[in-house]
Amino acid sequence: MNRSWALSGDLAFPFIVLACVLSAISLALLAYELFRGRRKAFAIGIAVTGALGVVALLLAVLRPVAIVSRGTTVGSRVVVLLDGSRSMDLPGDSGTRKATGLGAVAALQKHAGDVRLGMLRFGDGAPVPLALGASAGDAAAPYRPSPRSDLGAALEAIAQASDERPRALVVISDGRLDRPSGEASGAAARTALGVLDVPVHTVVVASDAPRDASVRAVRIAGAAVAHQPLAVRIEVGCTQGLSCDEVPVSVRELHDTGEPRPLAHGVAKIENGAGTIELSITLDRAGPRILQVQIQSPSGDEIPDNDTRYITTTVTRDRVRVLHVAGRPTYDVRALRMWLKSDASVDLIAFFILRTPDDDVNASQEELALIPFPVDELFSQHLSSFDAVVLQDFNARPYGLEKYLPTLARYVQGGGGLIMVGGPDAFVTGHYAGSALAEVLPVDLRLPAEESPVDLGSFVPNITEVGRAAPVLSPLRDLIGDVFPEMPGTNVVGEPRRGTTVLLEHPARKTKSGSPMPVLALGEKGSGRTIALTVDGSHKLLFSTFAAESAAGRAHGAFWDALLGWLMKDPRFEPAVLDLPGGCIADEPTTLVLRPLPGQKGEASIKIARLGNPSTPVKSLTANVPGDAAPIQIDAGSLPAGGYSISVEIGEGAEKGAPARRDFACEKGGDEWADPRPDVDRLEAISRATGGTTVKAANIDTIPLPAATEVSAERRVSAIVPPWTWTVLASILLGLHWILRRRKGLA
Amino acid sequence: MVPRAFSFRLFRNFASLLPALFGALLLIVFWPTLSGAFGDDGAFNPRMLLPGNAKWEGVRTTAPARWAFELTRRTSAPARLRPTTVRPDDASLLAEPFTIWGGDADIPPLTTREVKGLRRFLALGGILLVDDFAPETQAFTRAAKRELARVITDRSPVTIGPENVLFRSFYYLKRPIGRIEGPSKIDAYVLGGNPQIIFSAHDLLGALARSSNDTYAVQVTPGTDPLQREKANRMAINISMYVLCSNYKDDQVHAPFLMRRRSSEPQ
Repeated sequence: MNRSWALSGDLAFPFIVLACVLSAISLALLAYELFRGRRKAFAIGIAVTGALGVVALLLAVLRPVAIVSRGTTVGSRVVVLLDGSRSMDLPGDSGTRKATGLGAVAALQKHAGDVRLGMLRFGDGAPVPLALGASAGDAAAPYRPSPRSDLGAALEAIAQASDERPRALVVISDGRLDRPSGEASGAAARTALGVLDVPVHTVVVASDAPRDASVRAVRIAGAAVAHQPLAVRIEVGCTQGLSCDEVPVSVRELHDTGEPRPLAHGVAKIENGAGTIELSITLDRAGPRILQVQIQSPSGDEIPDNDTRYITTTVTRDRVRVLHVAGRPTYDVRALRMWLKSDASVDLIAFFILRTPDDDVNASQEELALIPFPVDELFSQHLSSFDAVVLQDFNARPYGLEKYLPTLARYVQGGGGLIMVGGPDAFVTGHYAGSALAEVLPVDLRLPAEESPVDLGSFVPNITEVGRAAPVLSPLRDLIGDVFPEMPGTNVVGEPRRGTTVLLEHPARKTKSGSPMPVLALGEKGSGRTIALTVDGSHKLLFSTFAAESAAGRAHGAFWDALLGWLMKDPRFEPAVLDLPGGCIADEPTTLVLRPLPGQKGEASIKIARLGNPSTPVKSLTANVPGDAAPIQIDAGSLPAGGYSISVEIGEGAEKGAPARRDFACEKGGDEWADPRPDVDRLEAISRATGGTTVKAANIDTIPLPAATEVSAERRVSAIVPPWTWTVLASILLGLHWILRRRKGLA
Repeated sequence: MVPRAFSFRLFRNFASLLPALFGALLLIVFWPTLSGAFGDDGAFNPRMLLPGNAKWEGVRTTAPARWAFELTRRTSAPARLRPTTVRPDDASLLAEPFTIWGGDADIPPLTTREVKGLRRFLALGGILLVDDFAPETQAFTRAAKRELARVITDRSPVTIGPENVLFRSFYYLKRPIGRIEGPSKIDAYVLGGNPQIIFSAHDLLGALARSSNDTYAVQVTPGTDPLQREKANRMAINISMYVLCSNYKDDQVHAPFLMRRRSSEPQ
């Protein structure tokens, strides 16, 4: 309970002031009068009665009151924002920066007294509640570090929140922030706060930079387009007097198999602790590619993990460059060529065998508009420049392709696409069985000795269950339904290889295991994809009574557009989408999000393999896909730094769908460790702009925290004495004063 | 004398072996062509288009087969050695993308169904060769152009010369030629730069036709060029290759080779 008083219980403040001023004037006039008269007798009595009379009159006007109140004291709300980014795992003033920050949080909790602390952690986007460990100051508090440190977003979120507004903010960080950034950090922080006019105190968790050389930034100028040179600007930093005048820099591309492929290298010259080098690289494969940018660090480097960066860059295609090789001209070749030529997104290089050595052309070489088939040139020098190779009814033996089949297999494993189209000279009859290329095809070419390599019987291929669900056949089925035109025979192939997706199958012919023979099969090998189409009658989708009656010839384009799209990993034809919303931080928990297509259900089999060593998955996970197309979160655990590929297959047995794949990189520190120097100046700028203070973590108890606020629950106001008492007293005193004045002859 | 029982058993055993022997015989006969048979569906077929009551008869009936034979003899392309005929209002017109319309005189108008059939054929990308068997009068060419104007209403024939891919799709040719030397250029309906209806005013089939005693059925005119019939054969091969490969020889990758060869030729 609190007791106090007030001059008046009902008069407004200006009237109180007016009354006091008038009383003061009265007293001044009285003093002046007595001083001028120089009459000592009765002077004291006049002065005393006059002064007391004026005071009594003033009190009669004001009527002072006594106040008795009852209430509570509420501590001010202060929000603590701890930097939750990966850079807080670097060395700080007391252990790691994270440990230093958590120690500061604990100290602040002790120092705060009545202040109500709200503990938040900022990183990417709006801040989240800070989950502390079992005891305050526990550096192993269970949270996954953020790959970003966006203080700007955190300040905006607090300013716009609808809950109680804080009276002050305390930011605990190393100052290495993504936002606010640059020289105008202070103004940017002020802008982020908007109408929330509160001081932002900053607490520095690291004062000194470690001795370190690092890849500070990798900047790619413009969009990466396959087969076109790309400028990569690499910034290298060197701090704390490390001996690094010249730092060797290399750029390599991670592949599914084998060692990373060198793309470029150079030497960065370091001046004033930093240097920049621009290297030109050319990426041949489209899609997400993982680049490894590495420096050769000098001795004494305290943080070797930031010497290597893994950059995921999405390579687009200006046009899909397709090599179309056909063993002989037929209506099927014509149809495919016409479609490839009509597609503006395809850059077609075609070579057809128009004449065999046995043909009698009855003309000299000069009279023939023919050129030699440049097999050596195509498959040794230029193969990597193609995004896809179509081998249509092509016999590998007579034209010298056999010796390049291992090269072609490596091309596929390195990310190239291959389509083998049937015909009398394809698959087994084309001398591919037992070759290196056969190993990358989605079907086995090893047939029993007694089995004919071709089947001359006409048939209508069946669409498999997987084919009905696969996006790759969807455009075709929209046009022709589930019935294919009759095919005039087929190449005979064996079992589908492991991981193959069979979309079309033979209605009668069986493989050795008794399952229907694949007619259209999709497969993945390494980073590349392959398609086997065992028939040479797809032209019937373009030109036939079936084509005219079902889809006016558009079915052929829909069929091949989807096949080429799948081969080139066009997202339209992917059976599922894999995402890593929080990225991948090495040795920290990683979450995958699987977005299946509508209708896909069953068990999803997920395999994570290291690029360069795909045969040994580092993780094998499963998840249940209920079929409602809702995203599914999957805990992938922690992974060491490096490049990885995830593949997922949904469904089981015959219903198993085509695999979806995504390549990604895990970095120990990523951008957050690229420049490990703490940025105290930035924290000071933020504090200065908002009226806060900057302190070291050890001095966090010196931060001026706002005082508590009293909240009243009950208040009683009563007159000190009854109001008439003041009036009577004033009358008596003024009357006495008047008598004394008369006796002395004053007016 | 052979005992009756023995002879019956022998006959029965032989009868049971008949299917196997017959199968083996078939295998022997057709084995070399087994792999060739697979893929015949996409083989070049110079089939004759017979509108109205037209019948395929006369000295040129052997020409399509000769054309197919020459194609298989000279190139890697497969061809139907027994070409068929087709009616323009028959659904089978849409089974393959090539047909030949030949004649030597004026013809009655195409029926509405025939016009529709041809229109669908061309809409799917089919190629039509119009061969005038009596180019001296050009009566058939005029009639065919008149009727085809009813089929294709948004385009007109244009003249194409040796710069067109038709003249370098296999052989390098300087001009069209057939039974007669005829004009040095040909008319064609062109779609996207590619001939779709080719008017041959040279009686191409006349130059290819063979008689029953395996000699040429029709004399070439003027015949001063000893290679006229050979050149007509080459023209036919080029048309086949154009049908099978489209404008393959227009690809930029081939251009440097072909241009070098042209420049090295004597002027």
